[in-house]
Amino acid sequence: MSDENTISHEKVREEVINAIKAIDNGPQVLKLYMEMCARCGTCAEQCPVYYGEPTKERNPVLRSDLIRSTFKKHTTIAGKLLGALDGAGDFDGDMEKWVTQFYECTGCRRCATFCPFGIDNSVITRKGRAIADKLGLTPDTMKSVVKTSLETHNTDGASPEAFKSAIDFLEEEMKDEHGIDIKIPVDVEGAEFFYVPPSGDVLVNPEATTGIAKVFYVLGMQDNWTMSSKCFDGANYGLFTGNDTDMKADNKPYVDEAISLGSKYMFMGECGHAYRIMKMMMEKGKWWGDLPFKVVNCMEWTADQIEAGRLEFDKSKNPMPVTYHDPCNFGRSCGIVEDPRVILKATCQDFREMYPNRGENWCCGGGGGLSAMDDIHDFRMNVSGRKKMEQVKDTGAKYVATACSNCKRQFMQLIEYHKADFAVGGVHDMLSRAIMINGKAAERIDYES
Amino acid sequence: MSNLIGLILPFITVLIFVIGMGYRFYIWTKTPQPGKMTLFPTPTPGGGTFISIIKESFFFPGLFKGDRSLWIAAWVFHASLALIILGHLRVFSGFFDRILINMGVDVDLMSSTGGGAAGILILITAIWLLLRRFALRRVREISNASDFLALLLVLAIIFTGNSMRFGEHFDLEITRNYFAHLFTFSFAEMTLPQSGIFWTHFFLVQLLIMYIPFSKILHFGGIFFTQSLIQKS
Ligand code: SF4
Ligand code: SF4
Repeated sequence: MSDENTISHEKVREEVINAIKAIDNGPQVLKLYMEMCARCGTCAEQCPVYYGEPTKERNPVLRSDLIRSTFKKHTTIAGKLLGALDGAGDFDGDMEKWVTQFYECTGCRRCATFCPFGIDNSVITRKGRAIADKLGLTPDTMKSVVKTSLETHNTDGASPEAFKSAIDFLEEEMKDEHGIDIKIPVDVEGAEFFYVPPSGDVLVNPEATTGIAKVFYVLGMQDNWTMSSKCFDGANYGLFTGNDTDMKADNKPYVDEAISLGSKYMFMGECGHAYRIMKMMMEKGKWWGDLPFKVVNCMEWTADQIEAGRLEFDKSKNPMPVTYHDPCNFGRSCGIVEDPRVILKATCQDFREMYPNRGENWCCGGGGGLSAMDDIHDFRMNVSGRKKMEQVKDTGAKYVATACSNCKRQFMQLIEYHKADFAVGGVHDMLSRAIMINGKAAERIDYES
Repeated sequence: MSNLIGLILPFITVLIFVIGMGYRFYIWTKTPQPGKMTLFPTPTPGGGTFISIIKESFFFPGLFKGDRSLWIAAWVFHASLALIILGHLRVFSGFFDRILINMGVDVDLMSSTGGGAAGILILITAIWLLLRRFALRRVREISNASDFLALLLVLAIIFTGNSMRFGEHFDLEITRNYFAHLFTFSFAEMTLPQSGIFWTHFFLVQLLIMYIPFSKILHFGGIFFTQSLIQKS
């Protein structure tokens, strides 16, 4: 190893240790987690990753110990006095191991639901990723998503023109389905609702977006909503790399766009982490002060319309057994659990719960941004996604509805890899197929499932 | 030796515990927490949150769902511990006896049945918790020496405590007398109990109490903090 490398290795060590020592000054949540764990092992029992393959590296406590041991050694009295007896130990400088392990936690927060103290290992994971990010060690797959998103305001790097032609295509599809013009308004100033989906719901699985367009059409609100040709992807990977500056920089254009459109509602699509950032972090945390609009969720809104009896459905269009997978960010982190069920029960003939569900649901195995990382495909298929496959199998469902592009991508790969006999899609997808317009549901029948 | 453990150490123990825990709580309260950590489902904000935090802290419903057998061991362990701590009030002063007797309670019977049962249950559950650390892979691989030491210390305390209850004659009057004088700083008139096992028990207890603020056992106070973090919406 050359001198230069040795120095940089030392420097890395120093930076990591300093970052860990700084936890002593906050945030409160991390400081508590450094000192409170009773080492009871309940989190491991409930972690999808440890379930998939119970090895030391995948035990949530030992992953969190990458940070906790060093914290103990440098800051706590017991750690200084008792040393290794108390589990204190210095950072060994192995950043490769560090990055691998912190990118093997899906950030699903399931551990926190069952830990007697509510310790949320995903917070420690995010800290670990943040430390790696500062050193430029975020995995390339993640880095490039963040970069693309910051440059183009969407994670696919799609241009406004590409977006518009995708929208044109969707309008044509709806014309084929219903024989009438159903609009997807773009860049309309003064529209009350500004729809922010994940880009996947325009470019990959666009039925959710047509579903929403149809709801507005039936309600006679075609002119009250809009999409933006600049901001059509709520996805924000700053949450996953632990980089708050990136997360806010990615978020700002959307807030600005909502303000410049003059919308009353930022109408979030079927994307768990995007909604969590907008609602729970940006709006509640007042990142940009008081705003002239409110953040709402499309499922909440549609469910309200259904409950008010404003929409009609032909359930026979969705005859197969359908189950709902609660995305961790919608269920545990935002509490949106009943609305998707209202929609699915209204639009499908055979809705089945998977168990456990809602706040206790198991992660798909692609949370925390892992779904986008093809470099850990095997891990996602065989380890983190294992429990999910078993859970779905037990329901006998032929269609898994879920409100998250990352979950969908993980599911699509799981299905292909395990040659499973079910399909995956969105919640409004089911609605799009069953909603009655002028007394008739869509004609088209060439759906995949 | 008993002078040291009986006259000086108790004050050091109380000092370390009170200052240690006070300092912890103070620091935790002061450490900034930008942003909320809300984890759903949440209780209804306000009073509901408070009740729910209390519920989590006393009945561990999350653990009940997460690991049933651990819940049984942990809950019985902690509930017995609470009973035993309450029972110890009798050793410090006859005051509580008088209240109970006035309420028509047969104090000796209550002590021998309730206290005796708690002593046995806590012994069983503490051993269970220790064996669990060896038996279950996911717990074994995360157990540090300090986790075993804390449990062994607790077991030693339980063992000496139980042998006073079930074994050698325990002189309540002399012990009460000792504590009464200790609490009022009247060292001159004090006669120290002469039981070796009493001093061992008392010494180990003090060791444990002093260790709490520096160990994971502080979770008995920290749980209110961590639970309110995820339950506030
Ligand atoms: S469940 Fe909580 S207390 Fe138990 S080992 Fe996991 S993080 Fe620690
Ligand atoms: S957040 Fe999810 S994946 Fe990460 S340790 Fe907790 S349960 Fe496991």
